[in-house]
Amino acid sequence: MSYQDPSRRDVLRTAALTGAGLGLAGSGLAGSGLAGGGLALPGTERKTKRVVFIAFAGGVRTKETFGTPANVPNMVDMSKEGVLFPRMRTANLGHFGAALSIFTGISEARGIRENSRGPDPTVFEYLRKDLGLAASDVWITTSGGAQQTNYAYGLHPEYGPKYGATTLDGDGIFNREFKDLLTRYGLPEPMEGGEKSMLDKLRKGIRTMGGGDPVKEAENLARIEEYILSELTRGTSDISGAGAGDAKALRLARNLLSIFKPKVTGVVLQNADIAHGSFNGYQEVIRRNDAAIGELWTAVKEDEELAESTAFFILPEFGRDRDLNARRGLDHGDGSDDLRWVSCLAVGPDFKKGVVNKDAHQVIDVMPTICDLFGAEAKLSKGGRLSGLYR
Amino acid sequence: MPDPLPSSLPWLVRRDDDTQDEQRKTTAARARAMDAHVLRTAYFDLVGRPPFQEERDAWLGKGVEELLDHLLGSEEFWQEWWEEQLYYFLLIDTFRPETDSAQAVPQKLGEGRLSVRDALHRIALTSSFDLRNPGADTFVTVVMEQLCGMIVQKSARELELGKAAYDGGQARFLGTGANSQADVVRICIEHKQAMQHLVEREFERLIKRPIPKATLSEDGRRLFRDPYDYLSMVRSWFLSESYLDRLLNPVEKSNRLFIRGMFVDLCGRMPEEAEMEPMRYALDGLSDARPLRSVLVRLLLDSDDVELRDKASIDNPTKWVGEQFERLLGRRPTDEELKTFVTVFHAADCRPETIVYALTTTPEYHAY
Repeated sequence: MSYQDPSRRDVLRTAALTGAGLGLAGSGLAGSGLAGGGLALPGTERKTKRVVFIAFAGGVRTKETFGTPANVPNMVDMSKEGVLFPRMRTANLGHFGAALSIFTGISEARGIRENSRGPDPTVFEYLRKDLGLAASDVWITTSGGAQQTNYAYGLHPEYGPKYGATTLDGDGIFNREFKDLLTRYGLPEPMEGGEKSMLDKLRKGIRTMGGGDPVKEAENLARIEEYILSELTRGTSDISGAGAGDAKALRLARNLLSIFKPKVTGVVLQNADIAHGSFNGYQEVIRRNDAAIGELWTAVKEDEELAESTAFFILPEFGRDRDLNARRGLDHGDGSDDLRWVSCLAVGPDFKKGVVNKDAHQVIDVMPTICDLFGAEAKLSKGGRLSGLYR
Repeated sequence: MPDPLPSSLPWLVRRDDDTQDEQRKTTAARARAMDAHVLRTAYFDLVGRPPFQEERDAWLGKGVEELLDHLLGSEEFWQEWWEEQLYYFLLIDTFRPETDSAQAVPQKLGEGRLSVRDALHRIALTSSFDLRNPGADTFVTVVMEQLCGMIVQKSARELELGKAAYDGGQARFLGTGANSQADVVRICIEHKQAMQHLVEREFERLIKRPIPKATLSEDGRRLFRDPYDYLSMVRSWFLSESYLDRLLNPVEKSNRLFIRGMFVDLCGRMPEEAEMEPMRYALDGLSDARPLRSVLVRLLLDSDDVELRDKASIDNPTKWVGEQFERLLGRRPTDEELKTFVTVFHAADCRPETIVYALTTTPEYHAY
């Protein structure tokens, strides 16, 4: 299947199934939230209990993904099981701002190297707050270092850190240097019961304001601490080479899914930005990431519980320039359609299969769709819901 | 700006029943004769670490002004300034400039051979900066945003002119003729907004709050006229009302400060680069770094690098516990805390490490 040339049957089937959605596309209302094509019928219960939300970021054109199926055989296979949206509008806000907008549903300019949290709540905060999810239910694995931890939560006073995602930066934690350092010092021994009990008494004895049980909080943190330590011995730290950051982020997502079975697993990739200096390297990153996404998808399908309940959303934050630069790489700043329009893939037990939906949408429509899928409301988002998605 | 603190922290300095005025008077008095909290905070703010034992002994009871005379402009101060600037530009890890000329910048700043404007100019001309910000669009955007604090989406035309100049074309960028990447950097660094932006972000970095408008306007002009005036400007900030407010409102430690503080507090030394960078990189990979910070504290406490006294040799646990509170948290324990800690200390399963671990993993230790 190619995004450029969907079969007539695909288009007709899409038209028949989405009906009003297609009609609204031309009116400019699709993706505005008014189209409403994604809402389940009253009385129907959705099968989706988990979402894997992959920001295939770093700037990726559709030309090198669904426009070159050989680059992404796994995502092409997935698209046969779901809905491909090849006309998703983006804003060139720099990698950080554009990727953040995917999670907040609000396109807002942020400095490219700005290392601070945004003012708006993220999909993770909406879901944790509205559904009462625990920190261990909502994770985000990243590839791009310190800046990307800002995707976990924003600074909105009604949301914020207590509703944030638990974030792991693959390359940050699971790298050889850090593992070697821990090995040199020796991993900490588990604390014996008697000493642990003394520690709890001490923690209770230190004054705190604002409530909260310091012992319970310490126990929650200890669970994540334990996971990090065990993950360090699983080989993630040994992944190296071009695109290693992305590979680690996807590997962590796979491990998290099998261990915690989180409700939401966000993944932010970044290595495709190598395209500035190397078109071939960029294509290689896309191929590697497609392979890793394929492994993640296979792992989900092989787990009975996950297979029946997990949806995937995969999309980049924006594309890249139409033409190669002087270094035979691809920048992102020419305002071309290759930059401004990207593809989004949605696969899940409640979604249509094998459909190419050519309605115009925005990348900021995805997170309100995910919130809607769970019955939460992204009330500050400026995006709508993806029309033509549900069966 | 650092993230807002959890609600459990702001009581650190405030006295429960004091009015705001009383708190300020008390804090002002404490700044004239520094107690453990003020001394610890000022050290963190100026050189990015807590004081060593001998420095505590030397400076407790003395005034902030004297400490400023000692630390402002020292090589350690400039080294810290340099590290913070590199972090601001995200020139870290593989993008860190490692050339001799880049590494010599803090020393030259200390010797007065470079101004802060020169130093920023050097950063933007490094190959690391170029690699970090590849391509015309990214490079010009970052230079405009990070050097001048401009919002490029509101200056789209200037961005296009800058990109044209970056690519070797003739353009009038920010009102000045340009035809190279170096011109783009020079024009931005010499732009009046560059020093204004530096003043704004430096005030937030050092004083931990937004700069008052009048101060921004005055100091922005002052630094634009004379970029060597940076130290006297910073000195005035530390002696201002704003710094008293800062002392009343602790902020969360960055991961970098946490690691430096942890090594000084537990090992009595600074971390080596081979320790610092992997640890910081790992902590930066978590939105909530507390679980991993806790692992690192245990790692050090279980190592031979930390020399705590044997439990048997501590003949006055009340005094020892009090010292640990003051050393690690910058305050004396409350009577209730002291009672709890001393009682637990006497239990067979409690080691001195247990006490130190409890203190260094409390939310209070994550702030300064």
